[in-house]
Amino acid sequence: MAIRWSRWSPQFALAPAVAITVVAFIGAIVWTIWLSFTASKRFPDYTLQADIWKQYTRLFKDAGWQIALKNLLILGVGSFLAIVFGFILAALIDREKRGEGIFRTIFLYPLAVSLIVTGIAWRWMFNPSFGVQHFLHSIGLTGLNFDWLSKGETAMYGIILATVWQGSGFYMALMLSGLKSINSEIWSAAKLDGVSFWRLYAEIIIPMMKFTFLTCAILLSLGVVKAYDIVVAMTNGGPGQATWVPAYFTINAYWVKSNLGYASAAAVIMLLITSAIFLPLVLLTAWRERSREARA
Amino acid sequence: MSSIAEASLNDLDGIRAPRFPRKPKGITGRSIAIIVFLSICAAFFCVPLYVIITTSFKTMDQIRQGDIFSLPAPFTIDAWWSAWDNACSGITCTGLKVGFFNSLAILFPSLVLSITLSAVTGYALALWNVRWAGGFLFVLFICAFVPFQIIMIPLIILSSGLKVYGTVWGIALVHAVLAMPILTLIFRNYYKGIPQEIMSAAMMDSGSFWRIFREIILPMSGNILIVVLILQITSIWNDFLLGLTFGGLGTQPMSVVLANVVITTTGVAAYNENMAAALETAIPPLVIYFVLGRFFVQGITAGAIKG
Repeated sequence: MAIRWSRWSPQFALAPAVAITVVAFIGAIVWTIWLSFTASKRFPDYTLQADIWKQYTRLFKDAGWQIALKNLLILGVGSFLAIVFGFILAALIDREKRGEGIFRTIFLYPLAVSLIVTGIAWRWMFNPSFGVQHFLHSIGLTGLNFDWLSKGETAMYGIILATVWQGSGFYMALMLSGLKSINSEIWSAAKLDGVSFWRLYAEIIIPMMKFTFLTCAILLSLGVVKAYDIVVAMTNGGPGQATWVPAYFTINAYWVKSNLGYASAAAVIMLLITSAIFLPLVLLTAWRERSREARA
Repeated sequence: MSSIAEASLNDLDGIRAPRFPRKPKGITGRSIAIIVFLSICAAFFCVPLYVIITTSFKTMDQIRQGDIFSLPAPFTIDAWWSAWDNACSGITCTGLKVGFFNSLAILFPSLVLSITLSAVTGYALALWNVRWAGGFLFVLFICAFVPFQIIMIPLIILSSGLKVYGTVWGIALVHAVLAMPILTLIFRNYYKGIPQEIMSAAMMDSGSFWRIFREIILPMSGNILIVVLILQITSIWNDFLLGLTFGGLGTQPMSVVLANVVITTTGVAAYNENMAAALETAIPPLVIYFVLGRFFVQGITAGAIKG
């Protein structure tokens, strides 16, 4: 495609996208990193501090940040239920083709609902005086406790429940397309050999879907780092600081504490966490590409 | 249900199935177990929707009786109207309608901007020989996953500099900027599948970058345009963080107004009004989902994994 006179058009057409990438992404990231080394309060102040790591040392001594990191871990581990649940649903739907359309539609609809609406709906169900708790007690199950959000120890589990409700369908959809790409001969071969249901999944299907599982795990982790809306809608960080997560901490440091430098430092740590998760994704893509080429 | 039971009975006492059935017919016990299990899960998925719908049609008196799963009696749509027209957030009591129109005003420019930009960029990267395309795609891939917080403060400073901070145009612009990497990757992957022969023929014929795009590529992108359109409509409509960050007083999108109405209320909470407000906000994406579900699923999976 070496037609000379149109060589510049593509480059010209790419200019806006390149400009956006350079300014709004790369430039902005460098900008934020720079700000994290300054003592900026309400307005940006670009002189570096004598001890450029000051914001970071303060950050890691901050009890709120420690809670946020701990909650990030809890949320991450808890949300993995969405992948497990998604896989079970996908495997069952794939096995029993009847009603596939209806079940898929039902399991996926929460994804069309925003996290703010999801949070508001679940917050209402967790309402101690009129919610599910009251219902359970009124039918005699007084021992059960469904008032999770008002106590610091259980509030994160409430958020996890809502997250799993919203996200399972997505992982189901990914798993379902993974399952459908498995060669149908494997199913019949396994049937002829009399391989049991559990062994078929544990030893053949799941190992074959390792790419899908890894992709799901990485996407889930990236989503967990970004978790913000659901926290605002369900607990708004409370009770106290019990449900703070890094994304919430960062926004809070900027809007409530008006501390630009501090918020930047927290954002940089968020970026580092994301990169730590992201690196495997890059490697995975490369690996996948290689194995695809090897097969071809 | 009775037909299922019948079929299972036939299976049990009647004709023995051949040892290696070519095409297993009828319903086995396992199938029933699976369907029952899936139905229970489906019921769990529907509970929140059921609860917010019924609550939104109840009176506060009925809600205070405390039976969250009861049907509304008496049935009233007052809460729907007051949520739309005069629900209070803070001291302003103008309901969700302001947010609804703001969301629409954000949606349209942002769709046009983001889709035009990414379609052209994806086309140039996929079908034209740009030497640095590979490197640029990699950078875009990374940008697509960057957390918003790391670029938030510079974007606020930049948009204030451009005098669009706090306006619907500002929010629309930021949406377009943030969606650019992922949408470009989606378009690029789609255009990469266009047969080389078509491009070669087009090259012979005119060789003009824009003419090929307009006359050949665009007419071929109907499918991907619908997928991207739905992906963008739902993600812009459901966005909260950008609207919160870049919206000013009176220019906030619907989700932010909703959050203000429900979360920052002081005094007695009107739960029926809150649930009606939540539903009003959720209806546009839900309608799109139930009408165009197939494209919706393609969009979110493409948005998440392609790259």
